[in-house]
Amino acid sequence: MAVLQLILNGVMSGTILAVPAIGLTAIFAVLRFTNFALASHMTIGAFAGFVANVTLAWPVLPSLLAAFAIAGLVGLLSDEFILKPFRATGFITTAIGSIALTIALENCVRLLFGNELRGYDLPIRRDWVLGGLRISPQQLENLAFALAAMAILFAFLFFTRTGKAMRAYADNPMLASIKGINADMVARLVSFVAMGLAGLGGMLIGLDTTIDPLVGFKTILSVFAAAVVGGLGSLPGAVVGALLVGVGEELSLLILSPAYRSAIGFLAILLVLTLRPRGILGARAY
Amino acid sequence: MLATTRRAVLKGAAAAMAAAPIGAFAQGEPLRFGVLTPLTGAGGQDGPRMLKAMQAVIDEVNKAGGVLGRQIETVVEDDQTNPEAAVRAARKLIEVNKVPVIMGTWASAVTSAVAPLCWESKTFLCTVSGADSITQLPHQGYIIRTQPNSKLQAYAHGEFIAGMGKKKLAVIGIQAPFALATKEHLDAVLKTKGGSVVAHIIYEKDKPTYRSEVDQALRSDPDFLYLNGYAPDTVVVLRDLYKANINLPKFCQSYAVPQKTLDAIPAEVSAGIYTGQPSADIEGQAFKLAAARLGIAEPDSYEAQATDWASLVILTVARAKEATGVALKDNVRKISQGAGTKVYSAVEGLRLLAEGKQINYEGASGPCDFTDIGDIEGCRFRYMQVVDGKLKFLKVA
Repeated sequence: MAVLQLILNGVMSGTILAVPAIGLTAIFAVLRFTNFALASHMTIGAFAGFVANVTLAWPVLPSLLAAFAIAGLVGLLSDEFILKPFRATGFITTAIGSIALTIALENCVRLLFGNELRGYDLPIRRDWVLGGLRISPQQLENLAFALAAMAILFAFLFFTRTGKAMRAYADNPMLASIKGINADMVARLVSFVAMGLAGLGGMLIGLDTTIDPLVGFKTILSVFAAAVVGGLGSLPGAVVGALLVGVGEELSLLILSPAYRSAIGFLAILLVLTLRPRGILGARAY
Repeated sequence: MLATTRRAVLKGAAAAMAAAPIGAFAQGEPLRFGVLTPLTGAGGQDGPRMLKAMQAVIDEVNKAGGVLGRQIETVVEDDQTNPEAAVRAARKLIEVNKVPVIMGTWASAVTSAVAPLCWESKTFLCTVSGADSITQLPHQGYIIRTQPNSKLQAYAHGEFIAGMGKKKLAVIGIQAPFALATKEHLDAVLKTKGGSVVAHIIYEKDKPTYRSEVDQALRSDPDFLYLNGYAPDTVVVLRDLYKANINLPKFCQSYAVPQKTLDAIPAEVSAGIYTGQPSADIEGQAFKLAAARLGIAEPDSYEAQATDWASLVILTVARAKEATGVALKDNVRKISQGAGTKVYSAVEGLRLLAEGKQINYEGASGPCDFTDIGDIEGCRFRYMQVVDGKLKFLKVA
C-alpha cells in the first residue's frame, strides 16, 4: 500500500512537472536551444495568477488563464527582443543568454513583489481517503488542469493548420520554409505557447504550496531532467519523462533518505542518456 | 555567472545605502565593513532587516563623528542563502574591498562555507547561524556568533516540549548542518524526562510536496512534531500535515513561521503551532535603544543581534585603535565582557573609551559575553503560539 501511495504521489507531482516540461521541449523542438528562461516565466505566471486570484479576486480557472497569457506574452516579447538576436550565434550562447534573461526577469518580479512567501486565495481541503490511499482534492484538480492544458495543446498541434505548421517546422525547418511556412511566426507562436505553459505550471505548483520569486528556479532542474529523460524535442516524451522523474523521486524514498530525492532526477538522466542518448521517445516533435 | 548578475542588480541598492549616511565630520578614508547577508532566498525575510539594523547603528556613530576619526561605510553583498553564491561574494569583499569584518551570514550552510575564507584571510565574521559545528571549526577566534548554538536551542526547546508532557517526538527537518545535532540534543533532553525522538526525517529543500516524508515520520506514532526547517519548506510540510488530517501539536523555529508567512497560509494550517526563538533582552536598555533607533516597537532577535555586531565591531575598533581582522579577534572580548562600565550603545561606549575607561557592552540580544570559541554563554528564549493565524506571546524563559 505504501508503494501504491508513493506511485500516486509521484504521478501527481509528475503531471504538474509535465506542463512546463512540454514548454521546454517545444522550444527545443522548434528553436533548437534549451531556454532556461522558462524558470522566470514560471515565476511570472505564478505571480500573474496571484494578482488575478488575490488582488483582483478572480476564481482559480480564469487566474490560470491569466498566468498562461501573461507568461506567454512576456515569453513572446523576451524571445523577440532578447533571445532572437542570440540565436544566430549558436546553441550555447543562446542557452547561456537565456540564463541571464531568467535572472533579470526573476529580479524584476522581486522588485515588484518582494521576497515574501505568498499564497493563493484558496481554501485548503483535507485529503480524501479512497481504499486506503490518500488523495488531495487540490492535487486532483491540478491534475485535471494539467491534463486539460496538455489535451488542448495536443489537439491544437494535430488538428489545426497552425499547429501542423509548427510541427512541420520542428520536423524540418528548411522544407517547411520552402512550403511557405513563416519561420518567424512559428517562433513567436511557440514562444508564446511554451512560456504560457511554463506560467501555468508555475501557478499549478504554487496552488498547492506557496510562491516566491524563486518558484521557477527551484523547479527548473526537475523540469529539465524530465525533458531530457523523455527526449528533448519530443512533446509526449516530456510527459513520459516528467512522470518517470516524479514517480522515481517518490519511489526512491523506499531505499534512500528523502535528503537525496533530487539525485534521482539526475541518475535518471545519466541512465537514460547512457542507454538511449536521444531520450526515451527520441527527438521527434510528435 | 549567476551571482554576478544578481549582485549587479543589488549593487545599486548597496551603493545607495552606503553613500547615504556620510557626514562631513570625520577625516580621512572611510572604514569599510563588509555585510554578507541573505537579501534573497530562504533568509530573504531576515537579511534586509538585519542590514537595516546594522546600518542604523553605523549611521548613529557616523553622526557622532565616526570611529578613529573616520566615517564608516558598508559594502553589502547578497549571499542568496546559497553557500556557493556566498563564497564568491565573500571573496569579493575580502579581496577587492579588503574589509576587516564580514557581518550577517544567516544560514548555517552559508556560514560554514564562508568561514574558512575568513580565517585564512584574517577577516572577522559575525553570524546568526546556529549549527554547533560552526564554532567548532578551527577558526582561531575569527568567528563570533550572537545566536545560541543548536545545543542551547535544542535543550531549551526540548525542555519546553517535555514540559507539556510529550514523550514521543518526531523530528522532520531540512537538510542542513544543524539537522543531526538538533535531533541528538533533543533526544538527550527528552531521555532525561522519560521520552525520546522516535523518528527523524531529513528532507531536501525546494520540493513542491513532502507528503511521503510526512507519512514516513508518522509511522512511528509520535505525540509531538518538531519541524526543523526554513519558511518555504515548513509551509509545505504544514499544508501536507493539514491535508493528511494530522492534528498533532507541533513546534517550529520562529524563523520558519514569521508573521508574513503566516499571513500567506490559511489560518487552519498554522493553528496551534508553538514557536521558539532566542529572545532579545526585551527588558534591557540596549534593546530599548535599538527599538527607538529602528523606529519599531519590538525589534526581533535578528535585528537585535545585527545591532550588536555593528556595535561590538565599532567598539572593538575603537578599543584596539585599528580596524583589522586580527585586532577585532584579539580585542572583542575586552569590550564585550569583564568588569568595565556597562554600556548599551556604540556611541555611549565610544565616549567612555575616549575618556580612557574600560567598558562592557551589554547588547540588545543579550549580554554578548563570548566563550573562547565564540559562542554566547547563554540567552533567554521566547515562546509563542499561533492562534487564528497570529503569533500570540506565551512566555520568555
